[in-house]
Amino acid sequence: MPLFEQRTDGAGGRVTLVPVSGGQRRRPRVVDVSRGDDGLGPGRGAAVLEVGPLTGRPGIRARGEISEITRSPWEEALAGLARRHADVSYVELSEVAFVDVAGVAALAVTALGLSGGRVVVEHPPPQVPRVLSLFWPGLGTIEVAPR
Amino acid sequence: MNTVATHEAFEHPALFYRTEQEYVDRTVSFVQEGLDLGEPVAVAVPGPNLELIRAGLGADARAVRLLDMTVAGRNPGRIIPGVLRAFADSHQRGRVRIIGEPIWAGRSDVEYPACAQHEALINAAFEGRPVTILCPYDEARLDEEVLADARITHPTIVTRDRESISEDYDWRSVVARYNEELVPAPDAVVFSFGADELYAARVFAVEEAGRLGLAGQRLADTELAVAELTTNSVVHGAGRGTLAVWARAGQVVCEVRDAGRLSDPLAGRRPPSRGQIGGRGLMLVHYVADLVRQHTSDQGTTVRFYVGS
Repeated sequence: MPLFEQRTDGAGGRVTLVPVSGGQRRRPRVVDVSRGDDGLGPGRGAAVLEVGPLTGRPGIRARGEISEITRSPWEEALAGLARRHADVSYVELSEVAFVDVAGVAALAVTALGLSGGRVVVEHPPPQVPRVLSLFWPGLGTIEVAPR
Repeated sequence: MNTVATHEAFEHPALFYRTEQEYVDRTVSFVQEGLDLGEPVAVAVPGPNLELIRAGLGADARAVRLLDMTVAGRNPGRIIPGVLRAFADSHQRGRVRIIGEPIWAGRSDVEYPACAQHEALINAAFEGRPVTILCPYDEARLDEEVLADARITHPTIVTRDRESISEDYDWRSVVARYNEELVPAPDAVVFSFGADELYAARVFAVEEAGRLGLAGQRLADTELAVAELTTNSVVHGAGRGTLAVWARAGQVVCEVRDAGRLSDPLAGRRPPSRGQIGGRGLMLVHYVADLVRQHTSDQGTTVRFYVGS
């Protein structure tokens, strides 16, 4: 199904693309993956973030996208990670399709605030290393394991 | 005037030069004076001029941070945070000395208003800081209008053998004059968005920019920049806006319009502290784009950025 439909205004020939959702409002959907809710896959839904603890090692995993709409659960999850942090914590992002600048900033600021050790960010989308390189070059407390 | 005020005063002279020899003499002596005083020195000028200064400095060049301004400052909007503040902030003790040449004869008419605004905003960005920024202007090749603007954006002018106070100095007037309305492109495709369409706006931008020839890092940067601008519109710009994408002279142009007003002229150019989460969205756009043009008024704000393939 196409994401957009094309509308042309008669006067100027200006083409406008509007979402085909027909005015239906999409609400952010936040679920806890630790409760077994499989939710939506990455890229299918807008403004969805599933975030929960990793099993068997310290840290969190996320699925969906990290943006303005999903900022709150992302920052809460990072705050929980910082509280439980001992030596090495993991942030598993292989199923995250997009992270905006403030989302990467929250990750960097969390790592900066740790009393020791490091955060290993596993398989993040390309925005994470890009934004880290622009604003926190050489940040030693974050290790990125690329996709 | 007391000594503390003198020490902390920001100095921002324009150097008007006519010949290569004059350029080398003035810039090299400026750098060497700083090195003699133990000041950290950076030089950010176009590549050929950088080589002239490097050769003139000889072994002293190793003590100077040298940057090609056509790369580091291609988008004039990122020079304050990415070049000038980046260097000054990394040397917090004592005076810092920089040569910055953001305007050269090859700058286009589309770029120039952003260049002039950048020169004006340096005065606000460094007010009260012990920093000296010398800005060379090629009198022989730049238009008289550019030189006239330099007299408005610089409190002092160095010509030939003397430095004089500029009677025209009034940097705010240049910021205001080049706050030019940005006329919508007739061939743009336009997408209206609100909070619920931020994701769709990003998808739209990637599809259109990709169709117009962007790929790889440049397409990824465009997605990120559009995400930041559309989010700003939703958060600060009355909750919604329009995104337009088109191609112009080998570049893809993305433009976001909303009903907000950008009240801080240094927005996007004032680096937040490392531990601050917000405040980097517009700066990201400046960092990844080849050019950013803005217009803001009581009727709304337009931010337009250009990315080459």
